[in-house]
Amino acid sequence: MVEFSTILAGFGDAFSLYNLAFVLFGVVLGQFVGAVPGIGPIMAMAIAIPFTFGLDPLPAIAFLVGVNKGGLVGGAVPAVLMNTPGTPDAAATALDGYPLAKQGKPLKATKMALFSSITGDTFSDIVLITVSAPLAVLALKMGPIEVVALMIFAFSILAGLIGNSLTKGIIAAAFGLLAASVGQDPENFTPRLIFGYWDLFDGLALPSVAIGMLAISEILHRLSEAHGNMRPAIIAKDTGNPDDRRVTWAEYWSCRFTMLRGATIGTILGALPGIGSTAAAFMSYAMTKAGSKDPGSFGKGNIQGIAASESANSAVVGANLIPLLTLGIPGSVGAALIISAFMIHGMQPGPLLFENQGRLVYGLFGAMIMANFVNLWVGQLGLRLWVKVVSAPESIIFSSALLLCFVGVSMATSGLFGVAIMLIFAVIGYLMASFGYSLVIFIIAFFLGPRFEKSIAQSLALTDGDLTQVLKSPVALALLILSVVSVVWFLRKNVHGEDE
Amino acid sequence: MKLTTKLMALATSAVMALASPAFAEDWAPDGPLTIQIGFGAGGSTDTMGRVLAEVMKKNTGWNIVVENKPGGGGVAMFTGLSQRPVDNKTIGMGVSIPVLVQLVQRGDQLPFDTDSFDYLGTVAKAELALVASKDAPFDDLEGMIAYAKEQGSLPVATMAPPQVLMMNQTKSTTGADFNLVTADGGAEVMKLILGGQVMAGFGSGEHYPYLESGDMKVIAGANQSRLSYAPDVKTFIESGVNAYVDPIFFLAMRAGTDPAAIEAISSAIDEATKAPEFAKIVQNAVKGDPINMGTDGTKQMMVDGLANAKILFAK
Repeated sequence: MVEFSTILAGFGDAFSLYNLAFVLFGVVLGQFVGAVPGIGPIMAMAIAIPFTFGLDPLPAIAFLVGVNKGGLVGGAVPAVLMNTPGTPDAAATALDGYPLAKQGKPLKATKMALFSSITGDTFSDIVLITVSAPLAVLALKMGPIEVVALMIFAFSILAGLIGNSLTKGIIAAAFGLLAASVGQDPENFTPRLIFGYWDLFDGLALPSVAIGMLAISEILHRLSEAHGNMRPAIIAKDTGNPDDRRVTWAEYWSCRFTMLRGATIGTILGALPGIGSTAAAFMSYAMTKAGSKDPGSFGKGNIQGIAASESANSAVVGANLIPLLTLGIPGSVGAALIISAFMIHGMQPGPLLFENQGRLVYGLFGAMIMANFVNLWVGQLGLRLWVKVVSAPESIIFSSALLLCFVGVSMATSGLFGVAIMLIFAVIGYLMASFGYSLVIFIIAFFLGPRFEKSIAQSLALTDGDLTQVLKSPVALALLILSVVSVVWFLRKNVHGEDE
Repeated sequence: MKLTTKLMALATSAVMALASPAFAEDWAPDGPLTIQIGFGAGGSTDTMGRVLAEVMKKNTGWNIVVENKPGGGGVAMFTGLSQRPVDNKTIGMGVSIPVLVQLVQRGDQLPFDTDSFDYLGTVAKAELALVASKDAPFDDLEGMIAYAKEQGSLPVATMAPPQVLMMNQTKSTTGADFNLVTADGGAEVMKLILGGQVMAGFGSGEHYPYLESGDMKVIAGANQSRLSYAPDVKTFIESGVNAYVDPIFFLAMRAGTDPAAIEAISSAIDEATKAPEFAKIVQNAVKGDPINMGTDGTKQMMVDGLANAKILFAK
C-alpha cells in the first residue's frame, strides 16, 4: 500500500508552474492536431516522445498526457463542424453533432462535446486514481471466452444503429469483417487476401480505412454537391438567442444520466485491453437512443447523442491506464506509447510500479487532473477559433482538409501505400453512403473484427473446440443471454418504428 | 568594436559548425539518414531504435529520422528496403528470428534473401523465457511436460510462430499435449497467465516485473544458452527438446551501399551502443547489455541463423 505522504508528495511534485506549462503546451498541441483532420493525437504522441528524452520523467509524462487528452477534445471538432471525423471514435459524435452544427449552432454542439468529453474523462480518472487495483484484478478474470461474449454483446447493442434496412446493415457489417480479415491469420500466421503486398501483412491500416471512409468520402460527397458558388463550409447563424451559442446548465444537467452511462461504459471497456473507444462511443450512443423517450430526434441534432458519444470515448483513455499501470498491459496504441515513454524514463509499469515509483505515479495522476482543467479552459477558447476557421469558403476548407488527410495518413502509415488504401476506401465509402449502406456499421465491424477473431481462436484453442465450456463461465453466459435479449428488443423496436 | 567582436564570433562559430562534421568523419550523408523500424511505435525495437538514433545524432551531428514500417515482424520493411534504389542513407532495423522464419517458410514468395543487405551491426539479443504463475504445480520444463501428460493437455500462450514451432517440437519429442493459445504480444501473454486462463507462456521481457514481485517463475530458457538473469534454469535443449531461438536486433542497408557509408554508419552505431544512456534503455527493454557483433559478425549471424532456422522451422 502506498503511504499517504507519498501520495501527497506526488501531487505536490505535479502541481508546479513548470509542469503546468508542459501540460498546457501538450493540451494545446493535442487539441490542435486532434482537430486537424487526418492527424490524430496518437501520431502527435509518437512524434513528441523523442522530444521528451531531455526532460525529467514527470514533465515528460505530463506533456504526453496533455497531448493525449487534448487530442480527445480536438477530435470532436472536425466531426461536429464538417462531418469528417478524423478518428473512428469521433464518428458517433458526428451523428448528432453535425446536424446541430448545420442548424446554425456549431458552438453549442462543440461545447456540448467539450463538456461531456471532460466529464467522461474526469469520471474515469477518478476511478483510476481510487480503485484501479481491484478493477484490474477483475479485468484479469475476463479471459478469451468472456471477451468473445462481451464482443457479441457489443455487436448486439450496435444492432440498434442499423436503421431502416436490416439487410443493408448486415451487408455493411459483413463487408467490415471481410476487410478486417486481410492480413495474417491470428493462429497460423498465414497471409490472407494480401495479393502479394507485404504491406498488408498486418492488415489494412486503421487510419487509412477510417479516414478514407469517414472523412474523404464525406469530402467527395460535398464536392459532388458544389455548383461553383462560394459558400462557407458552415453557417453560424446569429439567431439573437445567446442559448444557441452555449450550453446552458439545464441542458448539461439534463444529460447527467447519459454522461454517467457513457462514462461507465467507457471505463469498463477501457479497463479491458484491446476493445477501445470506438466501440464504447457507439455502445453508449445506441443505448442512449434506445432508452430515450424520443428516439426519432437522434441523428437530427440531439445534444444527448453528443453527450453519450463523447463521455464514453473520453472515459476510455483514463481507464486504459488501469491495466497499464497495475499490470503493465497497454489497452490501446496510445497507452502503448505511454509505456514506451515510461521505459525511456526508466519506469517499468507493472505490479511493483506503485511500490517502487509511487511518488511518480501520483505525480502522473496530479498531471492528469491538471490536464482536465487546462483542457476545459483551452477548449473554451479554441472552439471559437475553430468555428471561425470553418466559416471560411467550402472550396478552401475542403481542399485543405483533403490535403491534411493525405499528409496525416501518409505519416500514420509511413508511406504512400496507406494513402492509396485510403483513396480506395474513400471511393467505396462514397458509393456505400450513396446507396444507403451504413459506413458506421462497416467501421465498427472492421475495428472490432480482428480482436473478435483472435478471441474466438483463443477460446477454441483453450476449450479444444468444446462449446459447452461456455456454460462454465457465468459471466460469458450472462453476456450471451443479454445479447439475445437486446437483439430481440431492438428488432421489435425497429418493426414498431416502421409501423408508425 | 563590440559589434565586430560579435560578428567575428558569429562567423567563427558558423565556420566551425560547417567544418566540424568533416573533422569527425570522412564520410557524411548528403541529407538526413532514415532508420526504418520494422515494428510499430512503442515496442522494444522501436524504443531501442529511437534512443540509438538520438545518441548517434548527438555523437555525429547527422540528422537522423526514425520511421516505423510495421508488418510481418519486419518482413514488410525489409521487403521495401530490398526494393528501393541504393541511396546510402536508408537503414532498416529489425529482429533476426521473424525474418529468418519467413525466409524458411515462404522464401520463394519474398523478393529478398540474406544477401540482399549489407549488415551494419547488432544492438542487443532478446532473451526468451517460458514462464508460469508462482502457483503452478511444476518448476521446470520436465515437470511441466509430466503435468501436461497427467492432465491430458495444458494451455500455453505463445506470441509468434517460432514459439509455436518450439512447442510443437516439444509435443512431438515428448508426446505431451498442449493447447496453444496465440496472444497479441508479450503483455497479453502475461494477462492470460495472471488471469489463470493459461498455465504457462512465453515472455521476452514483459515478465520481469512479475519475477521481481514474485508472482511468476521461469520454467525454461528458450535461447541457445541459459538466461542471464536466471542462470539456474535449464533451457529447452538441456531439457531434451532440441529447439531454441536467439532473436537478435540488427541494422542493415540495401546491398551495394557505398563501403565508405557502411563504415561510417557502422562505426557510429558501434559508438552509440557503447553509450551509457543506450545501455540503460537496452537494460530496460531486454534485461541485458548491448551487443554489437560488427558488420561481418552480423552477416555471419544471419547466414548461420538461416541454416539453423531451416533445421528447426522447415515445414
